[in-house]
Amino acid sequence: MKKMDLVSGYKGVVGLVFGNEDSNSNEDSYVERLLDCIKNGKLPEDRRNAMAELQSVVAESHSAQLAFGTMGFPILFGVLKERDDVEMVRGAVETLLSALTPITHTKSHKNEVQPAMLNADLLSRDEQNIALLLNLLEAILTIPRGITQLVDMLMDREVIRNEALLLLTYLTREAEEIQKILVFEGAFEKIFSIINEEGGSDGGVVVQDCLELLNNLIRTNASNQVLLRETIGFDSIISILKLRGSTYSFSQQKTINLLCVLETIRLLINGGSEADPAKQIDKSTNKTVLAQRKVLDHLLMLGVESQWASAAVRCAAFRCIGELVFGHRQNLETLASKFLGDELQLEPALNSILRIILRTSSVQEFIAADYVFKSFCEENTDGQKMLASTLIPQPLSMTHAPFEEDVNMSFGSMLLHGLALSEHDGDLETSCRAASVLSYVLKDNIQCKEKVLQIEIESPMPSLGTPEPLLHRMVKYLALAFSKKGKDGKSTQSYVQPIILKLLITWLSDCPNAVHSFLASRPHLTYLIELISNSDTTVCVRGLAAVLLGECVIFNKSVESGKDAFSIVDAISQKIGLTSYFQRIEEMQKSFVFSSAKPIQSHKPLTKTNDKSMSDVEDNEDDVASDHKNEDHPILAEIFDTQFVNFIKNLEVSIRDGIVNIYSHPKSNVSVIPAELEQRKDEADVDYIKRLKSFLEKQCSEIQDLLNRNSILAEDLANTGGGDSSQTEPRPSGGSERVQIEKLKRDLLEASQRVDMLKNENSKLENEVSSYKTLSAKIENDLKSLSDAYNSLEQANYHLENEVKALKNGGSTVGLDIEAIKAEAKEEAQKESEAELGDLLVCLGQEQSKVEKLSARLMELGEDVDALLEGIGDDMGAPEDDDDEDEDN
Amino acid sequence: MSYAYLFKYIIIGDTGVGKSCLLLQFTDKRFQPVHDLTIGVEFGARMITIDNKPIKLQIWDTAGQESFRSITRSYYRGAAGALLVYDITRRETFNHLASWLEDARQHANANMTVMLIGNKCDLAHRRAVSTEEGEQFAKENGLVFMEASAKTAQNVEEAFINTAGTIYKKIQDGVFDVSNEACSYGIKVGYGGNAGPSGGRDGVPAQGGACCS
Repeated sequence: MKKMDLVSGYKGVVGLVFGNEDSNSNEDSYVERLLDCIKNGKLPEDRRNAMAELQSVVAESHSAQLAFGTMGFPILFGVLKERDDVEMVRGAVETLLSALTPITHTKSHKNEVQPAMLNADLLSRDEQNIALLLNLLEAILTIPRGITQLVDMLMDREVIRNEALLLLTYLTREAEEIQKILVFEGAFEKIFSIINEEGGSDGGVVVQDCLELLNNLIRTNASNQVLLRETIGFDSIISILKLRGSTYSFSQQKTINLLCVLETIRLLINGGSEADPAKQIDKSTNKTVLAQRKVLDHLLMLGVESQWASAAVRCAAFRCIGELVFGHRQNLETLASKFLGDELQLEPALNSILRIILRTSSVQEFIAADYVFKSFCEENTDGQKMLASTLIPQPLSMTHAPFEEDVNMSFGSMLLHGLALSEHDGDLETSCRAASVLSYVLKDNIQCKEKVLQIEIESPMPSLGTPEPLLHRMVKYLALAFSKKGKDGKSTQSYVQPIILKLLITWLSDCPNAVHSFLASRPHLTYLIELISNSDTTVCVRGLAAVLLGECVIFNKSVESGKDAFSIVDAISQKIGLTSYFQRIEEMQKSFVFSSAKPIQSHKPLTKTNDKSMSDVEDNEDDVASDHKNEDHPILAEIFDTQFVNFIKNLEVSIRDGIVNIYSHPKSNVSVIPAELEQRKDEADVDYIKRLKSFLEKQCSEIQDLLNRNSILAEDLANTGGGDSSQTEPRPSGGSERVQIEKLKRDLLEASQRVDMLKNENSKLENEVSSYKTLSAKIENDLKSLSDAYNSLEQANYHLENEVKALKNGGSTVGLDIEAIKAEAKEEAQKESEAELGDLLVCLGQEQSKVEKLSARLMELGEDVDALLEGIGDDMGAPEDDDDEDEDN
Repeated sequence: MSYAYLFKYIIIGDTGVGKSCLLLQFTDKRFQPVHDLTIGVEFGARMITIDNKPIKLQIWDTAGQESFRSITRSYYRGAAGALLVYDITRRETFNHLASWLEDARQHANANMTVMLIGNKCDLAHRRAVSTEEGEQFAKENGLVFMEASAKTAQNVEEAFINTAGTIYKKIQDGVFDVSNEACSYGIKVGYGGNAGPSGGRDGVPAQGGACCS
């Protein structure tokens, strides 16, 4: 009865939930009732039903989730603690899961609190809850002998065995402990026994299942790998690789089985865990043991010799070969000395692989075979030298021999042949592949770089030119690749240019002679600059070209003007602009090719055999090619592996440092004051001055150069500050114009400074003039008072004369006396005034000469003296005249 | 790679008694004073010779921490031999032996050979459990006993090899039905060398009910 009640109640609520949201309170009470029933219900049946309904309501309704969160956790964890009723435990776990799962069909509540999140928060707040759940998980995992029994089922009847296989594969995908328990229970032996029964790689889908389980057991489990190696050995795995009998056609299932077992080999080569350095030993031991068991022979059979293996199998085999030899001295030597073919036509395995690189029509296969050389050459100086030793200049007939004759060619001949081959048909594909291989041979190996620098290639038509260095030929192809692309009218995704650029970058790195050779031809630099600035090329090509140019700076030991590091830096800053230059490199670093996650290949289980999966396997290539979201060829992401990406990153840092260095320590003839700046003992002054003068001139021109650079830098800086990418287009004339303007500005400044100086001088003179003016005014005053004195003297004299006359008339007796006194007084007065006049005249003469001197100086300075003196003359005219009259008197 | 027999061992005992060090000393002949805590189980293997027969030992070194018990228990049943280890300088590790033994009796097959090892006997000055006590416990529970040191390698070889010898003797005595591979006692008959008397059906012990089918 109770149950019926609940159900009807529930239905009502569900109706309301989708109808309106006011039903929250109803829902709350309903959830409460269910929880109460779970907690306190007397009959197990009732409790189970309540649990089932709670689960479904919580799974569907927001408000039920909320309601559950506020009161449900303690009750459900109570159920989990009891653990007596399995049904209830399951229901509780399911309900918890529902309470933590966001309900997705209510899209409108984006900003609303997600009850599921809230619940998760509530749950995780109590540590005991988590511990309880973990205990439960453990209990489920370790049901006594559960796994053991499953493993035993592998030996059961076929139907059960196959199901057990699938179940175990599922269980072992992640859990390391389950993987170990399986192995402890002898899973390896059972797996290999089933594979054997089923006929190895020729077997059906069960073999694939077995191999997938095997791969799960060892994928991330170093311990299991050790056990496999130490107690069972790798023979069982290698024998699956073996192509038996004369089965010349590969079924689809066989292809997949082989891919699976190749994956097994790869997992063993990579060791159990990437991170743990202690496991490096395991990795290396695995490689050693695999090689001892002749895995290389089988891999070469699959990759090179079997004409029946599909491209996917060949590629996987190449990858395994690469990883097998990578960093493993012994295996490197084994591969280097391996010969393939029958007794009449034995050929080094590496030659065969090179031929595949040059000839295959599958890009994937090229990349996979290319990986073999990459791995072979990495940190293998001797191997590189061995390969390079066969790179010797070829007679024309060999270089241009048809491909079919290459069986007896040396590695070097074949490679050079490949490099030069494209010339005929204009297709640079082969050259570019050969260039890729060559870049591995040269990588980090200065001796090989120097050796290959010596190689010259004859021009296709000998009459048309002299042989040119291989390096120059590669630059030519670089240009050719671009012009070809242009012809098509569209920027095709191509890896030709990037690969050739990669070769050149590898070659020039740490190799001043290669830089020298590159710069020996002037157009190379021009072309490279063009390539960097060319917006028709890809980000990747521009960036790589910029890095190459940077190498011309940092690895440049040349002192030849125009080819030294300074000239290159100048060219960069003038023709590209430093900011845009570095921007090119940065853009490339950010591009898909460089930033995409590197190889760590995710584990994608192969689908079961059917038509589709087979086409998957075969058409892998098209998938890759069509999966482009950028302008670069997707293959580039593989060619630009992590090492190359890091290499470029480091180079970028060096280039930045190098360029800054060049700016801070400019090439200098004179900036350091030479010791001979001092006058030499027996040096004549004239010579010394001449020497100093020429030194100054040199310094001057250098300052001009520096100003030039400085202005370009400033312009760059200004552009960067602007932050507008459209502004950063290089403006080739901007720099020099700026310099011109700077020069004019400087001239202007100089001129105005001179004007200021003249003004100063002028005002000084004016001051002087005015001081003289006051001086002459004073003298004038003096003169005036002097003449006043004279006048008064005269007047007095006149008075006296009148007096004397009156006295004369008054009494003649005294007349004589008066006459005498008069004469005496006159004489005395005359004497006195004469002396005074003499003084005055001397003074005047002095003043006159002073004025004369000043006038001359003023005239010299362009002052109009007459005008200046006009006023003065008028003033002074009168007393002068007086003087004259006085003299006359 | 060829062997006459393959024996599976487990090493059990409290955390820190030196289980992983004993294994390392036995497989690699070296001692590591600081060893990472074992998580779950780790694996080691070595070939030995008994009675002129090559015998491969697969040894699972289990985590001693209580929280890993449920995982490590999975390894009991498939093991032919167990090294039960305590630390002579820590009394509590000796006191816990009974519960370890009970665990083993409950989850392992009844014929599992258990060797009791008092480890760290080089630290005599810090001894907390006397040799006699160890001997006494072994005698009461029907175990083989020896004191050993993973540091000085004293008795390490002996511990593993004597256990193998005991198992080998049990096979010779027909305690196990080694011809029936589906029955897992932690013993496997190899192809290299003479496997010795293949225990006939009549050798199946009374507890044969453990045999899975």
